Amino acid sequence: MAQRTALPLRDRIGSITSGTLAWIYAALLVVPFYYFIVSSFKTNEEIFESPLALPTTFDFTNFTTAIQQADLGLAVANSALTTIAALVLTLLLALPASFALARARGRAGRVVESVFALGFLIPSFAALFPTFLLAAALGLFHTRTFVVFLLPATALPLSIVILTSFMRTIPRELEEAASMDGASSLQVLRQVYLPICVPGIATVLLLNYLAFWNAYLYPLILIGPDTAQRTIQVALPTLKVDAGTDYGVLMAGTLFTLLPVYLVYTLLQRQMQRALLSGAVKG
Amino acid sequence: MTALLDAGPQDTTDGGPSTATRPGRRGTIRDRFPGLALPALIWYAVFMIGPVVAMFVIAFLAWPGMLTTPTSAGLDNFSRVFADETFWTATTNSAIQILVGLPVMIGLAFLLAFYVVQKPRGHRVLRYLLFIPALISAPATAMVFYAMLNPDGLVNGALRPLGLAGNEWLADPSTALGAIIAVELWSGIGYSAVLIASRLDGVEGEIVQAARLDGAGDWRLAWRVYWPIAQDFIGVVAMLQFLSMLFNSAQTVLLLTQGGPENATTTLAYLIYRKAFVETDLGYSQAVGVVLFVIGLLGMWAIRRTLRATH
Repeated sequence: MAQRTALPLRDRIGSITSGTLAWIYAALLVVPFYYFIVSSFKTNEEIFESPLALPTTFDFTNFTTAIQQADLGLAVANSALTTIAALVLTLLLALPASFALARARGRAGRVVESVFALGFLIPSFAALFPTFLLAAALGLFHTRTFVVFLLPATALPLSIVILTSFMRTIPRELEEAASMDGASSLQVLRQVYLPICVPGIATVLLLNYLAFWNAYLYPLILIGPDTAQRTIQVALPTLKVDAGTDYGVLMAGTLFTLLPVYLVYTLLQRQMQRALLSGAVKG
Repeated sequence: MTALLDAGPQDTTDGGPSTATRPGRRGTIRDRFPGLALPALIWYAVFMIGPVVAMFVIAFLAWPGMLTTPTSAGLDNFSRVFADETFWTATTNSAIQILVGLPVMIGLAFLLAFYVVQKPRGHRVLRYLLFIPALISAPATAMVFYAMLNPDGLVNGALRPLGLAGNEWLADPSTALGAIIAVELWSGIGYSAVLIASRLDGVEGEIVQAARLDGAGDWRLAWRVYWPIAQDFIGVVAMLQFLSMLFNSAQTVLLLTQGGPENATTTLAYLIYRKAFVETDLGYSQAVGVVLFVIGLLGMWAIRRTLRATH
């Protein structure tokens, strides 16, 4: 460590800056959080007067106002329903597909796999309008149903890439033994592959849970403003009014969108972090 | 492209040789065509590939409103787009957003990842915090920033004691685009850093020790040892963030500024949205979509070239 003193000035500055940068950024992550949580208990005047002060009273009026004003209870229920249905559909589509691709030996399998692997290149977002036409053509415009159909399609490439790589690790002998006993493909999938793939399935579920719960533009365009159908992400921005937003109410509403996500993150931190890391393939 | 797949949870032994040596002893049809993949493939084709193909078709149609019947327009939409000043403003805005935002994001994320990987005090807390932005939805992020950047918000409140004048950050044409870029940096740096750190974790200790013995300090270690090793993976992260900035920025813009003031924050992605859903000029909108698609591919190619593996 005696060499330390001999380090060029630039290097010492370097080590100081990367540490300083890291903690400045950490502060920038925490302060908005703190600000929005304390703001949700304050009135506009209190927020403007002393933005960082702790609230004087823990008054839940802002929360009840937010719930009433934007129908947040219903919106949370809609989000939950859409998310769960889309997750189930994703697994129903992705599991058999990954199973087939992991075992495929021919060129067809490789072609199909690369179709999915390249899927993240597709700027589905630029094609929002044709998607909207598709919804109309199917008679599902302004319904949650269409979003439940659409979200799994956006998640398929990544889900299939992750699950296929998991299923590749399962030795063929295991499956051949089961086939000898007269098990069908689907039985092999259910009895041999699924139990081994639980970590992969958990990764896919967590990643897509985040993506589906947080989805904004698709639900906004495809479900529309109908309070009976809209999701929490679409309902939240309606609390922002051009003339005179009640910031306390807005921040209280924001808390509702984050709570379910943080609950899961806190409970399943390890798994969630791993899921997000494997989400690197996602656009 | 293999680098993208390597980012999966575990490296798979890419069963090339072992499968090739097996003749199709049980060469049933399901071994040759993965039939169980069909439902997913069809689903994907209908809901994802279909709309993108339709985008290319609509770009060549004259379609001035949802209720009118479209007619063929040849290249008219494109000549209209390229003659439109708003399009060039949007192109400039997107260019600034990416040419400024992306290098800053990747550079800072790399330094952060490098710092975290050295396991300094509090690195666990840091890693926990870095994941935060990845969990928050675009509307929630936008609403918190909306509250902070409004004239009576936290940012101006923090500047006041320092004797600095506040600003209407989102309503001032000279700062609005910067504010949008700042929001994207805020949410993008953490996730990029976590991804890059996962790659830097794999750098062998021996290489680092050897460099240390040669007298390399942190700065040189970061840029001369870690960066070259992780370069192609950093390229993958850069591509993801590039696509996200190029396309998903429309959400942030829609939520915070609606492209204003005076088109100062109209990006190409937001222009597609506005032309389709606000002005219902569908041919124009989808022509911009095609342009954006091409820019996306060119950008990916450029990033790949700049940051390809060096070792």
